Amino acid sequence: MRPRDLSALIFSNLRRMKLRLALTSMGVVIGTTSIVLMVSLGIGLQRNIEQELGGMGPATHVTVMPAFTPGSMEMPTLDSQAISEIEEVTNVEAVMGQVWVETMGRAEFQRRDVHLSAMGVPMDKFEQFGYVVERGRLPRNENEIVLGARMPSMIADEGGFREDLTEDLLGGRLNVTFFEPVTEGAGGRPDEAELDLPAETTRRLTVVGILAPADMQVDSTAFVTIDAALEFNGVRSNRIAFPNVIAMADSPANVAAVEEELRALGYETFSASSLQEGMRVTFLIIQGVLGALGGISMLVAALGIANTMTMSIFERTREIGIMKAVGASGNQIKKVFLGEAAAIGLLGGTVGLLFSISTAAVANLVVQGLIATEAVGQQAGAAAVGTATQTAFFIIPVWLGVFALVFAAGVGLLAGILPAMRAANLDPLIALRHE
Amino acid sequence: MDCVTEVIDLKKQYIMGGQPLEVLRGVSLAVEPGEVVCVMGPSGSGKSTLLNIIGGLDRPSAGTVLAQGEDLAQMDDERLADYRRHKIGFVFQSFNLVPSMTARQNVELPLTFAGVPAEERAQRAAAALESTGLGHRIEHRPTELSGGEQQRVAIARAVINEPTLMLADEPTGNLDSATGREILGLIRQMNEDGRTFMISTHDRGVAESIAHRIIHIVDGMIAEVEIGGAS
Repeated sequence: MRPRDLSALIFSNLRRMKLRLALTSMGVVIGTTSIVLMVSLGIGLQRNIEQELGGMGPATHVTVMPAFTPGSMEMPTLDSQAISEIEEVTNVEAVMGQVWVETMGRAEFQRRDVHLSAMGVPMDKFEQFGYVVERGRLPRNENEIVLGARMPSMIADEGGFREDLTEDLLGGRLNVTFFEPVTEGAGGRPDEAELDLPAETTRRLTVVGILAPADMQVDSTAFVTIDAALEFNGVRSNRIAFPNVIAMADSPANVAAVEEELRALGYETFSASSLQEGMRVTFLIIQGVLGALGGISMLVAALGIANTMTMSIFERTREIGIMKAVGASGNQIKKVFLGEAAAIGLLGGTVGLLFSISTAAVANLVVQGLIATEAVGQQAGAAAVGTATQTAFFIIPVWLGVFALVFAAGVGLLAGILPAMRAANLDPLIALRHE
Repeated sequence: MDCVTEVIDLKKQYIMGGQPLEVLRGVSLAVEPGEVVCVMGPSGSGKSTLLNIIGGLDRPSAGTVLAQGEDLAQMDDERLADYRRHKIGFVFQSFNLVPSMTARQNVELPLTFAGVPAEERAQRAAAALESTGLGHRIEHRPTELSGGEQQRVAIARAVINEPTLMLADEPTGNLDSATGREILGLIRQMNEDGRTFMISTHDRGVAESIAHRIIHIVDGMIAEVEIGGAS
């Protein structure tokens, strides 16, 4: 029997039982929808958390911190010797110390208050770490500052500016007020720190550049030279020590090995990459559990298909006898009924998948709308609203769609095995006498 | 010339209500090509069982059925299906057409299972229906046809795969006498074209009008063989 004729026979038989087909497929529709939506929710959660983690830095970056000495009250730091040691670690391409400017108070642009957080970095290494200046250049002295990619829009939001500030900011001046450091030697910690900043001082910083989008933290941070950061923090010393440094691995695949070696040297490490790896297993389990919950309704659907096929075979017993009398083999009969069961599964799976895609789209829109409303309510700014509208909570990748269709057809096929075998093994004479 | 079918000491026993029931008790016969052999006997005499075993729809309890020298007992279910598909054409008393299919689709069915391409199937089905006088009812469903027309469709279906043996179980049993005569005329015409028939009937008139040989079965055994009117 040709595959084309087999398909034609299957669809002709299914056309004869439209209502039963619709009702039985409905079970598969519900089952497929449950599985797809549950798994897509798991994927959406994973993707969102991974995005958040991605915002913590590029996949090749490892944050290195000194290990705490038990019992010691002193905050351990990393000095130039430690940086040299870290640079020697296999697969480490570069190491960069960074110092948060912790004394920064309010900032002002065109006489409007804006929020600013700044970090001091070695400008000679900054671009090596993958950060690109999109407009202008990097700072060369203590009076210059470069802004992260999202900062122009953040400043525009906070200052109540309506227009795009990029052009105004480039070459523009920010009046920044610095307070006396709260903790001794915060940020950079020399052995003999001298703290002599007045209680409050205002500096005029010129914006010399704007960075290309990188990660969430860099995009919303301003950068100054290390010397400037130390000066703002009130630190005067030739021996710079950092609370942490960033080591860059030569590839994301080597991050785990780099971290392992650094830990063996006595450092604490953290990377978005290793965190993501750890979470991947957790999310795999979550997706499995959610999928299994959806699978329960698929099990019920499978019983429905088996029931429909059994009834159908009972009603068509005489027809099966006729087919056998004119030369159909048991295998051919089996294929017809297995094909019908698989087609019911595939039909239900297709409708279920389409339904899932529409439901996911609507649900994403509703949740995005709610988050955007919340963000506006909290005056979180256009950037936050923009992020909310890009966030998807139900993500249906192509593989999930294909899996859903194959799984639904497979469930139909499995549910049809016993009834099809029964049909194949029917005694033709008994079948022909069936009324 | 080789026999179309040779039956040797055929026995068939059923278990009914826990008791053995001997339906055939040592039947032996041979059917020659081009013959019309009628098997006559009262209800329950075993004539339908004999046809079913010869046609590969049932298996004997003992004895041998040779189809052109090949023993049916040695065939597994798949080969037996293949034998029915290519060597046998069945015509039943109750027509046994698939109600959801048109006359053409019913006639095409054996060819569909034989893997014949759709275009060839359609041509052969149309020709077969034309030869049984139903060329104008080709797309009609069984419910739209009279009993005689349904039996013509069944005959067209039986001849479509050019079988070596046509088995007809009471082919006129469900028809009025005039229609029955038309069906017998069709069978006679097909026999004149070279087809071999084995027909079961309890109607002596039918047997005498069409058979070359009449085999009387009583209680599962051949009681008498006589020359039919067609010889």
